[in-house]
Amino acid sequence: MNSMNKIIYPIAAALILVGSAFTFVTATSWQISEGYSIAFSSDDASGIFKGFKGNIAFDEQNPAASKFDVTIDVATINTGNGLQNKHAKSDEWFDVAKYPQIHFTSQKIVKAGNSYQVTGDLEIHGVKKPATIPFTFQKSGTGGKFAGTFTVNRSDFKVGKPGGDVGEQIKLDISVPVTK
Amino acid sequence: MFKKALFLGIVSGLLAGIAGIIYARVYHSSLGADFSKVAPTVNIIASSLFGGVLAAIGFFLLDRLLKEKGEIVFNLLFSIISFATLLAPFAVKLPLDLEAPELFPGMVIPMHFFPALAWFTLKPLFIKK
Repeated sequence: MNSMNKIIYPIAAALILVGSAFTFVTATSWQISEGYSIAFSSDDASGIFKGFKGNIAFDEQNPAASKFDVTIDVATINTGNGLQNKHAKSDEWFDVAKYPQIHFTSQKIVKAGNSYQVTGDLEIHGVKKPATIPFTFQKSGTGGKFAGTFTVNRSDFKVGKPGGDVGEQIKLDISVPVTK
Repeated sequence: MFKKALFLGIVSGLLAGIAGIIYARVYHSSLGADFSKVAPTVNIIASSLFGGVLAAIGFFLLDRLLKEKGEIVFNLLFSIISFATLLAPFAVKLPLDLEAPELFPGMVIPMHFFPALAWFTLKPLFIKK
């Protein structure tokens, strides 16, 4: 019995230590609230994506332990024009039937001055590329809001044909309110 | 002549507007597409009235210029112009918070024919030759 105690207590102590250590490095999990906005704009086309979901774990004090894994439902694209919507969903552009989602998974989040930078894998139209997105986080009560603006080159992701009326650079404005 | 044409234009415009409002309501209740934000009742009535009055001016001028052939040319022009305006609803960009913009042309395109339809229907009551 004494020999059992000699083993159990050190193991229990080790488990408590390891467990408590994990609580320090695990970032807060945030739920995406209604009222988010995923807007895009270019020379000729602009609009929004209405479908957005994912897991957001973020800690302002420990961005390195934070993690984003979010998806955009491409079929929810709205340019404000029915013909443009149909065109955008077709195989000439996003090919929604084959690639229904835009997916971003973070690899690294760092603080950059008053804002942050997330580097990860951005997958659009079946093409996965590394991307760095600058963003801010404003905490308010038990909630907060992520906001970021960045550009992607649509030709890098083989979205649409190069050239034409729609510019190569697509600006994305993202605003995501969250709650704990 | 202009007075009769103007009355016809106003009455047919109002009638087209009322038909447009009824159609918009039916469209909304059957398909669930609500475009009252971009095509409110006042705008439907005003644009139909505008079409009717414009038709009255056109009819009067063509009747003066071309005499007997004026009405034939007017009818043809009225139909062609109504048809040509169908392109506009396809090109319009709606506010992004509106659902299903692809259903918008289906609502407003029939309305583009209502002034002409009302004019041709009511004309024998106002102008007899």
